[in-house]
Amino acid sequence: MTDIAPLAKPPAAAIYALTIERFRGITSLKWKPSRGVNVILGGGDVGKTTILEAIALLLSPVNPTTLSDPDYHDRDIEAGFSIEAILSLPVGAGISSQMKPSWPWEWVGEEAAVPALEHDGKLAGEPVYRVRVRGTEDLELAYEIVQPDGSADSFPVALRRAIGLVRLSGDDRNDRDLRLVQGSALDRLLSDKGLRSRMASELAKSDVKNELTTEAQAKLKNLDTAFKRESLPAGLDLAITGGQGASIASMIGLTADRSGIQLPLASWGAGTRRLSALAIAEQNQGDAPITLVDEVERGLEPYRQRTLIEKLQTGSSQVFLTTHSPAAISSAATSSIWYVDHTGQIGPLDATKIAKHRKTDPEAFLSRLSIVTEGATELGFTTAILERAFGSVLEQHGVHVSDGGGHEATLGILEALAAGGLRFGGFADDEGKHPTRWAKLHTKLGALLFRWPSLCIEENIIAVVPDDKLEAFITDPTGEKTGIRLRTLADRLGIADKDFAAFKAKAGADFKARIVEAALGTVPTGKESEKNEYKAHAGRWFKSVDGGRELAGKLFSLALWPALKPQLLPFCNAVRTAIGLGEIADLHG
Amino acid sequence: MSDESVHTALRSDAPLVLVEAPAGCGKTHQGADYARDVAVDRSNRLLILTHTHAACSVFAERTRGSGSRVEIRTIDSLIAHIATAYHLGLGLPVDVPTWARRTPDGYRHVALRVAALLKRHPMIAGALAKRYPVVICDEHQDCSGDQHALGMAMLDQGARLRVFADPVQRIFKETPLAGSTPAQDWVALTKQAHAFEELDTPHRWRSGCPDLGRWTLLARAALKNGGKIDLRNNLPASVSVVVAENQARRNMEYQLAPTDRRAIDAFTRSHTSLLVLTRYNETARSLRAFFNRRLPLWEGHTRSALEKLVDAITAGNADCPKLAAAVVTFMNDIGKGFSPSAFGDRFEKEVRDGCTARSRGKPATIQELGRFLLAEPDHRGVAKLLARLAELKQGDADFADIEMDHSREFWEAVRLGNFEDLDAGLAEITHRRTYGRPKPPDAAISTIHKAKGLECGNVVVMPCDATTFPDREDARCLLYVALSRAKERLMLVVSRANPSPLFQL
Repeated sequence: MTDIAPLAKPPAAAIYALTIERFRGITSLKWKPSRGVNVILGGGDVGKTTILEAIALLLSPVNPTTLSDPDYHDRDIEAGFSIEAILSLPVGAGISSQMKPSWPWEWVGEEAAVPALEHDGKLAGEPVYRVRVRGTEDLELAYEIVQPDGSADSFPVALRRAIGLVRLSGDDRNDRDLRLVQGSALDRLLSDKGLRSRMASELAKSDVKNELTTEAQAKLKNLDTAFKRESLPAGLDLAITGGQGASIASMIGLTADRSGIQLPLASWGAGTRRLSALAIAEQNQGDAPITLVDEVERGLEPYRQRTLIEKLQTGSSQVFLTTHSPAAISSAATSSIWYVDHTGQIGPLDATKIAKHRKTDPEAFLSRLSIVTEGATELGFTTAILERAFGSVLEQHGVHVSDGGGHEATLGILEALAAGGLRFGGFADDEGKHPTRWAKLHTKLGALLFRWPSLCIEENIIAVVPDDKLEAFITDPTGEKTGIRLRTLADRLGIADKDFAAFKAKAGADFKARIVEAALGTVPTGKESEKNEYKAHAGRWFKSVDGGRELAGKLFSLALWPALKPQLLPFCNAVRTAIGLGEIADLHG
Repeated sequence: MSDESVHTALRSDAPLVLVEAPAGCGKTHQGADYARDVAVDRSNRLLILTHTHAACSVFAERTRGSGSRVEIRTIDSLIAHIATAYHLGLGLPVDVPTWARRTPDGYRHVALRVAALLKRHPMIAGALAKRYPVVICDEHQDCSGDQHALGMAMLDQGARLRVFADPVQRIFKETPLAGSTPAQDWVALTKQAHAFEELDTPHRWRSGCPDLGRWTLLARAALKNGGKIDLRNNLPASVSVVVAENQARRNMEYQLAPTDRRAIDAFTRSHTSLLVLTRYNETARSLRAFFNRRLPLWEGHTRSALEKLVDAITAGNADCPKLAAAVVTFMNDIGKGFSPSAFGDRFEKEVRDGCTARSRGKPATIQELGRFLLAEPDHRGVAKLLARLAELKQGDADFADIEMDHSREFWEAVRLGNFEDLDAGLAEITHRRTYGRPKPPDAAISTIHKAKGLECGNVVVMPCDATTFPDREDARCLLYVALSRAKERLMLVVSRANPSPLFQL
């Protein structure tokens, strides 16, 4: 024989790349999912479910009959839509028994390429196929296999059925996979092709006429007479016959014993139905169908969510799963996590870089627009400012502000998100560290990333407080912390009494600097032995979520806002624009 | 019995099975029978690769009823199909078959690239092997090295390969292109095979002339082993040997003294199923004169003069003198009489001068022909000119000596005029010929190459001299192909003056 090595065992069916153009809410999306479990996160209405539905349509085991204009992006039917996948197919998937031969493309890591003679000494890539479904301007679907020469052959139902798709949809009424619908998991498992015709002939035997009431029988008899009179076919009877619409087999569903009575499995809870559908799919030996799970938490308690996700993670199927459940996210340890941002782009979340953030604030990945701030003060401050910019609570708009847990950590998280091409917001200091990394982020995020031009939030705000308002600035509106703040100043100035005038006199021109030191908990030189004591001062000032909110409130109560407006307003407007609200000229007190 | 062992070997699990198949020993029957058996299982798909469309039709008839599960195609068409699918990666235009036809050695260049592509991307052969788990390769001796590589690539990817070949019928040998794989050596291949069988029952002669069948196998053995065919002893009654000396002065032509030809004339007149076989095209044309144009020439399935004409018309690009030259060349390729001295030179001159000189008689008629080109300087003008020429041959004494020996080729050139587009026209005519499967006339003269695959009751092989059949591999193969065409009677016209070293006289 020649020296060509045989191909390795072909993999299960898997989507290597997915391109969606103008389908429903998605303008344009390009995605290279992983071969295992893909967990898709993101806020509401960003297109997570649309991605699943696009895959379901592309691999639909039946010919869907109805398209409507909302399936087209912006209802622009003339522009059409297209869903295309680069697929690897197992031997049994029937690609080799099509009427016309289908030719494999070469997967070169990023895309499907036409196999060529020239090469740079690298190993040839895996065989993949390009399939797509297009919504035409006639509201029809065109299923196509795209060949390496650019021509397109039919991508028939039989082949889609053979590839297999298990879909645990979010739709409560859907029990398709528990019925003998063509192409369902149950149909594939039993694969009894003759059943339909046997059922039809069996049902045709049933005596319907004798079930009729006497009056009804008489009417049927009269009809027969009328038929005879008009020379129409006569000898009328009633029987169960196949017709258009639902097939006989689709009326056959799985039933199970419940306290001695056989009941349709469809009457169990949504969670049980979904797990049952999955269990049926698993019985198809050697089958590893592409599996879609919309809202994994639907009908499942947290422990069953975890069991399901663990099971999917150990299987060999490619899985696409959406969730809003923190329990589900935290158990998806070996899955690829993806986030769909408010622009409809999907990008990877680097599991190691965001692990802590995912644990402490999973909601950051379940919202439309997530803003990562440097610390608790910034979290409180940003939230309060944005509430003014929106005139309402942020949850209502799908905006979530979270605490990145420090300057370095926040930079890391923002970078990880930006690497996936995602749009996030950020709010941070300028500590003079990593200028190039921050500059890169700025280019990507623009005004959605707010940074003080230099120094930190307390320093920037105290700088604009007029001397005659310093006392009011120190005062805690709730009254709780005013005394203790004065105490920290007294300690730092070496004055026994908490007397504001005395502080002012002693500190002189450095008074603001002393206040900043107290607010930041700076350890004075020579006091290193009491380091912890001095550091704790920060918490008594603004270093908390409430402290941040207090600072935001004082911008307005002390009329500091006009001085900071040029910096902060563009950020507020960038957030408003990101979620589709218009810009505003100013914030109101 | 070889028939049984071949039957068993084909159906075994062995990946590579080779069957050496002399002419008339039931090769097609074995192959088609196996194909039908494989296709009984509806999930199986089987591919039969042949070299000619004629062989495709034979297999199609023999496997009728197996539906689309048996796919039969020429190996060139499969290669062109792969090349079309991957034309972007091979640096070929989208219409590969047209490119292959218009390019010198086009199909061989395509095969060369496809062989390299399959080597680089085993997955392509893998996709084919999954589609066709069983592949029958017919007439493997005619495979080029690159064509052979396609079969082997599928074998490597798990297909079962069943190869039929007769190394003694290897008459289409070409110098390999630079970079192409050399043709596979049959003996080396038999050593690689998991099973090697040989058919040895002369079925073709069973009902008619069994002794001729046995003798033909003996002759084959002698030719294969480098020996001579013994014409002195044990010659069956069905084989007659005529000694006759060629008198022709010109190379490749043939002429006999009246006494020498008597036996040949008697033989060719007494049989209605007849093939007169000779090696060279020129000799075949000369034999047509030899038999007073009583026997037509079998033109086979290729039309080299027509393709040359089409290329010349394209290259001529509406330049009338060039078209005129192309017409003269064509007429002399397919027949005689429209020679430069009789017509050609005058015809070309008239076209150059615009057919304006006042003239009468034959020159005026030549001008009339030239005006067709001046009016329509393309294939349509050529077609009208040729059609008029055929009329003149019938009605004008000046043109009576013109002969269209390749009359089908001539009329195909006329038919080209019906097409708007020349290339499309040639493709359509070629397609019709390929699928119309022209059959040879009952009695005909043919070159041995064009007679390959045919069979006939009575065959004359002439001349069997040293010029035609020297002691060379190709001559041995040609001689075997020629004599194995006969089912009932064979006549060998030998020479004592210039004896072929392949015979013992």
